[in-house]
Amino acid sequence: MAPSLPLRDVKVLDFMWVLAGPGITRMLADYGATVIRVESTGRTDPTRTVGPFQNNRPGTESSALWGNNNAGKFGITLDLSKPEARNVVLDLVRWADLVCEAFSPKAMRAWGFDYESLRKVKPDIIMLSTCLMGQTGPLARFAGFGNLAAALCGFYNLVGWPDRPPSGPFSAYTDYIAPRFGATAVMAALIHHKRTGEGQYIDQAQAESALHFLTLPLLDSVANGRKYSPVANYDPYHAPHGVYPAAGDDRWIAIACRTEEQWQALCRAMKRDGLATDSRFKSLGDRQANQDQLDRIISEWTGRLDGHQAESLLQSSGVPAHVVQNSSDMSDDPQLKHREHFVQVAHPTLGETFVEGSRFKLSRTAAQVERPAPMIGEHGQYVLEKILGYDEERISQLVVDGVLG
Amino acid sequence: MLSPCRVLDLTTERGFLCGQLLGDLGADVIKVEPPGGSIARSLEPFFGDQPGPDRSIYWWSYNRNKRGITLDIQSEHGREILHRLVRDTDILIESENPGAMTARHLGYDDLRRINPALVYVSITPFGQDGPKAGYADSDLIIMAAGGVLILYGDEDRAPIRMSIPQAYLHACVDAGAAALIAYYERLNSQLGQHVDVAAQESVALAAQSVPLTGLVHGDDTRRMAGGVKMGPIRVPLVWEARDGQVSCVFLFGTALGQFTRKFVDYLYREGACDKAMHETDWIGYGGKLLSGEEPMEAYEHVKGVVAAFFKSKTKMELFEIAREHNFLIAPVATIDDVLRNPQFIARDYWQEIKQPEAAVTLRYPGPFARFSTKPIEYRRRPPAVGEHNHEVFVGDLGLSESEFRELARKGII
Repeated sequence: MAPSLPLRDVKVLDFMWVLAGPGITRMLADYGATVIRVESTGRTDPTRTVGPFQNNRPGTESSALWGNNNAGKFGITLDLSKPEARNVVLDLVRWADLVCEAFSPKAMRAWGFDYESLRKVKPDIIMLSTCLMGQTGPLARFAGFGNLAAALCGFYNLVGWPDRPPSGPFSAYTDYIAPRFGATAVMAALIHHKRTGEGQYIDQAQAESALHFLTLPLLDSVANGRKYSPVANYDPYHAPHGVYPAAGDDRWIAIACRTEEQWQALCRAMKRDGLATDSRFKSLGDRQANQDQLDRIISEWTGRLDGHQAESLLQSSGVPAHVVQNSSDMSDDPQLKHREHFVQVAHPTLGETFVEGSRFKLSRTAAQVERPAPMIGEHGQYVLEKILGYDEERISQLVVDGVLG
Repeated sequence: MLSPCRVLDLTTERGFLCGQLLGDLGADVIKVEPPGGSIARSLEPFFGDQPGPDRSIYWWSYNRNKRGITLDIQSEHGREILHRLVRDTDILIESENPGAMTARHLGYDDLRRINPALVYVSITPFGQDGPKAGYADSDLIIMAAGGVLILYGDEDRAPIRMSIPQAYLHACVDAGAAALIAYYERLNSQLGQHVDVAAQESVALAAQSVPLTGLVHGDDTRRMAGGVKMGPIRVPLVWEARDGQVSCVFLFGTALGQFTRKFVDYLYREGACDKAMHETDWIGYGGKLLSGEEPMEAYEHVKGVVAAFFKSKTKMELFEIAREHNFLIAPVATIDDVLRNPQFIARDYWQEIKQPEAAVTLRYPGPFARFSTKPIEYRRRPPAVGEHNHEVFVGDLGLSESEFRELARKGII
């Protein structure tokens, strides 16, 4: 018999929102946790309204972004303005080991679902609050998306061309850093609970987690007074180091040579052995000083080639190179196929759809995507009946009273 | 919080952050370096721009809360000592290319025989096996392979990466979460397992599900200077203020359209837009653009109105307005702005650590999360080369003083 999933005994009440929060509970669901995602009526999760959409048809049930972040969870909607909804939540708190929320700091307090209130109901509850800037401080109430935290953290000025305003990272960058830290924090708290029986409160400021990805410039800035500004694809340890055109529209190949061997292998692969001894390109410093000339020579060569063929040729010669993958390259990538990175799931209305699988492999207890992301209110009946054990009469009353939205 | 968890950190410069996270959480992390010190100690930037094994800011960045030992794991004797350390290890982390640890008899299958409860974490570019497992890599290469790089930069030029390498940092934090999931499971089963983290898959998260576009037959998302192109709609995220840039979400739909409606209300009250723009239905606006009911030129006009408003204010004026009215606007900060941000100061975020060898006090990003039971403490500064050799080999492992001296003499430690 296959061993049961690592978090099979973990029950999670999920008040997450948008991207950074749901990413945490998605990871827990992959490894067996029972996650009940509560959606509030009248507050559509923004990710339900952002693409990519299945068959390019926008709608609150067709977003692959929502689907990817919430796969494996059960979903219930509650009208939290109603007192009966509050009782349902408190019953769910009694059921849960872990409550996670990603609203702005005032929202949970306003509903009476702050940690102090919840621990009165369940003394050993673990609660994680995750928001942009943290629960305290002058910017605690500054709510928004990961692009805003990324701007405040200094990520924008690190992506760009020296002759232009910064391009900034793609979309909501801190939303792709924070969930990993949040999941690590939650796991530490679950381990602590298992050992001591003690619950606790965790305050995650997504910006404070994300700044760990900028430790180097932050230390350098204080210690050396160094300034950081956009440098396009320059790297102190690699030359050539860049993105070169391949044949086709918006097709590119990334090439990065760190060692002399890699540089010489690149020259051989381009059938330009003379370049390796060319005084303009002899050392790393020479190649960096004459980067524009070198980039032109490489671009002339790559521009005629199919990117995938160039990648194979270069990698088989020992040169770090890869096609700059777009979404169709990703779905065709033999490595991602081998890793079963994309997982097919059957959805009640979309039919067969796809999510990304766990981003790591556990050899003995592999992750599973047990169900697609919930449709709005999909598991209300299931949660009330099977998980909370409410009788039919009580459930009907909740429906009649509009508690389920 | 993780105490008494013992972690052996064999990582190269790819994997330092994973062990540091576990150290922050209270694990006893032993960083193993080759005799003479990790190659990462020779990586810039250096304090005062002067190279030296105890001056590398790269090394300092991700080796806090670890003890440091040196051990030649290429030698048979060194391996034997490592095997003895592994007996009392809960989590081992390594970041060699696939197969390299097995070639040294230090692969998962070698070490599980010594300690069946060992959680063995491998961080690699593409994973332990598969057609690209042997690929040569770098930060740029992984960002290209993970579907992220194509989305970065300006549409009229080649894609560009973030200039501070990020790929392995994503993988390292995934590895931290993964290690703890396996460790939690071990509390039930008493068994370890192999955790295989592929940086390619980790970084793909930063592509915001765009990699699923082909499989779900969606509309492709493409890069655009300071924003993103969702199908035909060009969505700016960076806007010019009077003295720099701000990031702002100006979007549509049932959720995001609400923010836009509130913001345009404000613009109207301030006399910054006309009545027609004020009365626009921002909830359904995206759909109308896609169907052609609203021409793209009209959207361009709207963006022009918003841009003119931003251009008339400083970054901080706009941020004040955003905070007062809950608008989705934040200033684009420099690293210096980050250090001055009143929020991080008010929360005592920055943590100072002294590096006596270089006579410098460093200011680190503080706890990645705040725990009510056992707050993260920065108990140990990044170790000097072999700083804890005696403590670990004699104190923990029980070697005699003469055995210890012999190892040092042979250059094994």
